[in-house]
Amino acid sequence: MIEFIKTLISGLGLGSIYALIALGYTMVYGIAKMLNFAHGDVIMVGAYAGIVAFTSAGLPPVFTVFLSVLACTLLGITIEHFAYKPLRGASSLSVLITAIGMSYLLQNLALMIFGSQQKAYPQYIKLGQVSIGPVTVDGITLLTLGVTACIMVGMSFFINRTKLGKAMRAVAEDRGAAELMGISVDRTIALTFAIGSALAAVASMCYGLTYVYIKPTTGAMPGIKAFTAAVFGGIGSLPGAMLGGIALGVIEQMAKTYISPLWADAIVFAVLVLVLVVRPTGLLGKEIQEKV
Amino acid sequence: MKKLLSLVLAAMMVMSLAACGGDKPASTPAGTEGTKETLKIGGIGPLTGDYANYGISVKQGVEQAVKEINAAGGIAGQQLELSFQDSQGDPESAVNAYGKLLDWGMKLSLGCVFSGETATVVAAAKDDDILLLTPSGSSDKILESNDKAFRVCFNDSYQGVVAADFIKDHKLADKVAVLYQSDYDYSVGLYEAFKGECDKLGIAIAEVQTFTEGTKTDFTTQINKLLAADVKMIFIPIYAEPASTFLTQAKGKFGDDVYFFGADGLDGILEKVAQDVSIANNVLMLTPFAADSTEANVQAFVKAYQEAYKSTPDQFAADGYDAVYALKAAMEKAGSSSGAAMAKAMTEIEVAGVTGTMKWTADGNTQKKAMAIIYKDGTGSLFGQ
Repeated sequence: MIEFIKTLISGLGLGSIYALIALGYTMVYGIAKMLNFAHGDVIMVGAYAGIVAFTSAGLPPVFTVFLSVLACTLLGITIEHFAYKPLRGASSLSVLITAIGMSYLLQNLALMIFGSQQKAYPQYIKLGQVSIGPVTVDGITLLTLGVTACIMVGMSFFINRTKLGKAMRAVAEDRGAAELMGISVDRTIALTFAIGSALAAVASMCYGLTYVYIKPTTGAMPGIKAFTAAVFGGIGSLPGAMLGGIALGVIEQMAKTYISPLWADAIVFAVLVLVLVVRPTGLLGKEIQEKV
Repeated sequence: MKKLLSLVLAAMMVMSLAACGGDKPASTPAGTEGTKETLKIGGIGPLTGDYANYGISVKQGVEQAVKEINAAGGIAGQQLELSFQDSQGDPESAVNAYGKLLDWGMKLSLGCVFSGETATVVAAAKDDDILLLTPSGSSDKILESNDKAFRVCFNDSYQGVVAADFIKDHKLADKVAVLYQSDYDYSVGLYEAFKGECDKLGIAIAEVQTFTEGTKTDFTTQINKLLAADVKMIFIPIYAEPASTFLTQAKGKFGDDVYFFGADGLDGILEKVAQDVSIANNVLMLTPFAADSTEANVQAFVKAYQEAYKSTPDQFAADGYDAVYALKAAMEKAGSSSGAAMAKAMTEIEVAGVTGTMKWTADGNTQKKAMAIIYKDGTGSLFGQ
């Protein structure tokens, strides 16, 4: 039972990181109708920004986090402006290939600047271990859970209650009509990238504090898992991304504990296939009716 | 028009041939000028990329030996000339590098640093009359395809056996747990040999946990299982990089009396956890080489190496160093650099190297004494001293 609870909590922690990244995927997909495969690598950039800010520049933790968020936000806007915006009218396939190219560009830039050897993410928040009754868990896992919960609440407030959020929903619903209503589509899409990338920076902090070592390819696997989580929950849906991320993290850790680490990834993707067979639009995805 | 083009092309080919022909006579006298032609020795290994630390260590050990031998007059009056090629640990690049070295005129080969690349190069070199002596390719089966292939390091199954013997001999534990990487031959080979020997010696394996290349960032579940097994000795036959991640995540969770016991793959662990060297506390590493050994030859090697490279040699550097001296001994015995003659000589020589006294069997393996280094707050010392 203790093992089960421990696994559940570490699954929730891992799932929270997936959820934070999945939010970026799902928002960009919902609003710009594109798969931003470079999103995973934004996390890697965020983590390196954290290392540079804290270890090399000696900034205090608060500024480290701030700088990391700032770097990712600027990166997100820059990528959107130079790589995706000129392709707005192009076929979705061209945009997809551009995104994959952008992903490799970021990885190779990091390889050039930081080298291929792993670097340790500074442990500027030390929480040690927390005991709740007979169960001992990492404080960092609990922090990740807390941060993610706050962000989820904040995001749903932003999307549902603010004017900018309403604009984003409008663009997602019908781009042409939104433009006619006086919403600047370009600016809304740029904002989406900014928010998605800022969330990736937060994810990079949680990732760095939990798993410590950062490499140029660090973002690749979490990126793919988070994309899977977004599809799992129903791509385009914010609550879906959160649910999908958490579910994926828990399934992965459960599979590792009770079956085998060798099978963990296979099981995660098998579950994805099963869910998509039963619900092709994902857990919380909207049923899209094709109008003929 | 077509005719003209083909004429032009033909003319260009003739000219380039002439250029090649012109090159050759010009370069040969340069080599023979002076006393004697140099004896070319080639090595291959990862000098860049994830596993660069292993290749660089071997290369520096080799360089040190070459320097010493040249200063002492070379082999049979011939000065050594070294070329060490970067393979990034990739077998395909290693085979290309091997071809490049042959074209360069390599007479003595140090094979490759890693098992995977060594296996392909050993197979590719089957029909060449050249001896391959890998400093560190430890996987069991890699030398089988070529009877002119030998190694300086322990082979994996021997390491697994020695590790179990070491635990028994030093009465370290009678119940152990294991964490190994299930998609790496090195790790699997060591584990299987270890398990076999444990069964023989009556050491119980209470828990076996695995991970793969794709899951080597998160060890939470494995750590929980290992904690639940409640053992004092955890055998970790894995490489330094995943080990650094595992140990970082495990820090503070296991008691002070729990040891992590690994083999040569762990070498370089201190650099990997440089941000907090106490992570590697209680790590035991099986090795034929200890830099703080009191043996005179080891002391001399460590001193010279530290002067040249500003770092303490690890066992990969020691393996590289011994490999060059073994080649020297074999060539002096054989009287030529012919692979067949050298292979025969290899089984007859005995080399007292910095990794111990070595004799070889015809299958290319050597058996020597194993020690263990224990890490504490950033320094490694010989276990039991």
